[in-house]
Amino acid sequence: MKEKSDLKEMCTGAMNRRDFLKRVGYASALGLAAGGLGLALLDSQGPAAAVGQKALTGLGDFTAKAVGAGPGKMAIVKGTDRAAMFAQGMKALGGMETFIQKGDRVVIKVNAAFASPPTLGATTNPEILAAVAKACFQAGAAQVSVTDNPINNPDSCFAISGIANAARKTGARIITPSASLFSPLSLPKGKLIENWPVMAGALTGATRVIVVSPVKDHQRAIASMTLKNLYGFLGGRRNVFHQDINGIIAELSQLLKPTLCVLDGTVSMMTNGPTGGSLADLKETGTMIISTDPVAADAVGVELLGRTLADVPYITMAEKAGAGRADYRLLKPALLNTMA
Amino acid sequence: MARRQAKVGATEKVVGYSILATLGVIALGLLIRQAHFNPAVTVALHGAKVQGRLQGAPGQTPAVTAALIPEVSGFTPLTPAQSFGPDNLSDKIDGKAELYLSSGFKEMSCRSFNLAAAGSAYVEVFVYDMGSAPNAFAVFSGQRRPGSPNIPLTANAYATSNALYFTRGPYYVEIVADRASGALQKSLTMYAEATLAKMPAEGKGGPGKAADLLPKEGLTSDSVRLNASDVFGLEGFNNVFTGEYTLKNGTATAFLAERATPGQARADAQRYLEFLTANGYQKIGSPDGTEGIEVLKLDDSYEIVLVQGRLLAGVHDASSLAAARELMEKLRTALKL
Repeated sequence: MKEKSDLKEMCTGAMNRRDFLKRVGYASALGLAAGGLGLALLDSQGPAAAVGQKALTGLGDFTAKAVGAGPGKMAIVKGTDRAAMFAQGMKALGGMETFIQKGDRVVIKVNAAFASPPTLGATTNPEILAAVAKACFQAGAAQVSVTDNPINNPDSCFAISGIANAARKTGARIITPSASLFSPLSLPKGKLIENWPVMAGALTGATRVIVVSPVKDHQRAIASMTLKNLYGFLGGRRNVFHQDINGIIAELSQLLKPTLCVLDGTVSMMTNGPTGGSLADLKETGTMIISTDPVAADAVGVELLGRTLADVPYITMAEKAGAGRADYRLLKPALLNTMA
Repeated sequence: MARRQAKVGATEKVVGYSILATLGVIALGLLIRQAHFNPAVTVALHGAKVQGRLQGAPGQTPAVTAALIPEVSGFTPLTPAQSFGPDNLSDKIDGKAELYLSSGFKEMSCRSFNLAAAGSAYVEVFVYDMGSAPNAFAVFSGQRRPGSPNIPLTANAYATSNALYFTRGPYYVEIVADRASGALQKSLTMYAEATLAKMPAEGKGGPGKAADLLPKEGLTSDSVRLNASDVFGLEGFNNVFTGEYTLKNGTATAFLAERATPGQARADAQRYLEFLTANGYQKIGSPDGTEGIEVLKLDDSYEIVLVQGRLLAGVHDASSLAAARELMEKLRTALKL
């Protein structure tokens, strides 16, 4: 009977039901085995940051309670003397006491990315750092720390930029990056910051964070100001993010809510940023922006560079992510002039 | 023996197509997943910290560029020379490294000095090996500070109030101080001459012969640039010379590039035209009916693209049609079209 069936199959070329089911069975088993192997090998969590370490989801909200919800505060001060501009701006915002209370432990995030002298404007100017640190102590801060993660030789960067000396003179301490300060961080909904080493240890015990940044042209990001300054919290080979510079800065806007942002546009680096090098790259733009809103602060800074929000997409992206308002006029900024 | 040719039933077909469709879905899933690449996967969390290579360590092969940084009387070294390659240039100039990397960067060494004669000025010297003279010119011209005077150090050299910038062959050099003064300029020039003494003599290779074809009349002084990559925002539109012009009828930028073959020149021209069209430019035809010349307009900005053999040339961002035509005529004369 079987011979007859086989003969029929050979003659007709047709497959009988049994063979067909067998083949389907083999194919299904093979498919299941391959799929099962894939599932067995799947690591849905991705590479572990470190043994026993759990990824953080952010660095925290350091908004001063007195500021409350609603639109942020902002002062735009014209002048040339950084300390005077900062003092006048803070007065308009209710004084440093509005933001710093007795016993607060303040971290000042500076831009110390390069071992470059302060005259070249590539880093946070020591005069404004000193003014901010001094005001924090006067408001009752128990401790003021100054930090950044310059990749190449941090000690040189803090020393040559004049930041170390300014901090020392005011009684602030410098936190330079070390391996123990870095923890893996995965931003909720983050596409880039996933299990990435972030200098969270610099903020251990901190109750307030102030971001003090220069206004600079940036070859890749077009502008480097407050939000770009947060890049300095990242560790690892962070230059890989330059391929999506707007995406990474928009994500950095979600990293933390600073207490205050001081954007120093007294002198701005108009070209050849972020390193500059020539005094010809600098322009006296005579403006200091003090704000609780980093997005709004950067929106003013963009104008100092003679650019528009369209030129610097990460500002609008950060606004969409809820980090602040790109239309800084909605904050009804206090417009001041120390020269008046 | 003849192989049996099985007839395939409808059910088998359905099952077969289902399996193929499933495989297709899996492949699509893999592609989507790959598109959302997380760099953290390939970056070790606590990997060895990359620093510039300090020069002078025992058993270490010195970097070529480190040997080009001289020790000059009056310049007291503050640090040993540090050297960086393509892998770690961003450690030193994070945010600007791509400018060099896209222009063929090979190696950079730098060293800082104290210059007592200029009030203890801080001076830092950078020597970049860009691999070729055109590459060195690309980074030199790309960072040219407008209005800064040329200096007679080399064919491509200028000074700002606190710094000197120049090229020699494949090398691009920056000598930067933290202040400006007349005494400082003299010292920096002396240092530059000592640096040049350590370098091979200037060869024949300049920025590239295409640069010489840019019309001279109306050309803004020192505005000629070699743009290494993604010129005018078009990805892959590379190695294009540009020069800015002040004309009778307005302002415009001329561009000129030499390609390996006429076909490549035509292909690049076509790609640029398509890029312009995709960005809202509208063709308004050839100015005098000449074949191979296209004129496009967007608001008050005019573009002209033309190809001659291996040369791709044109007018970019002209402020009026008359200015665009004026510069095009100059280009045609220069290119003998």
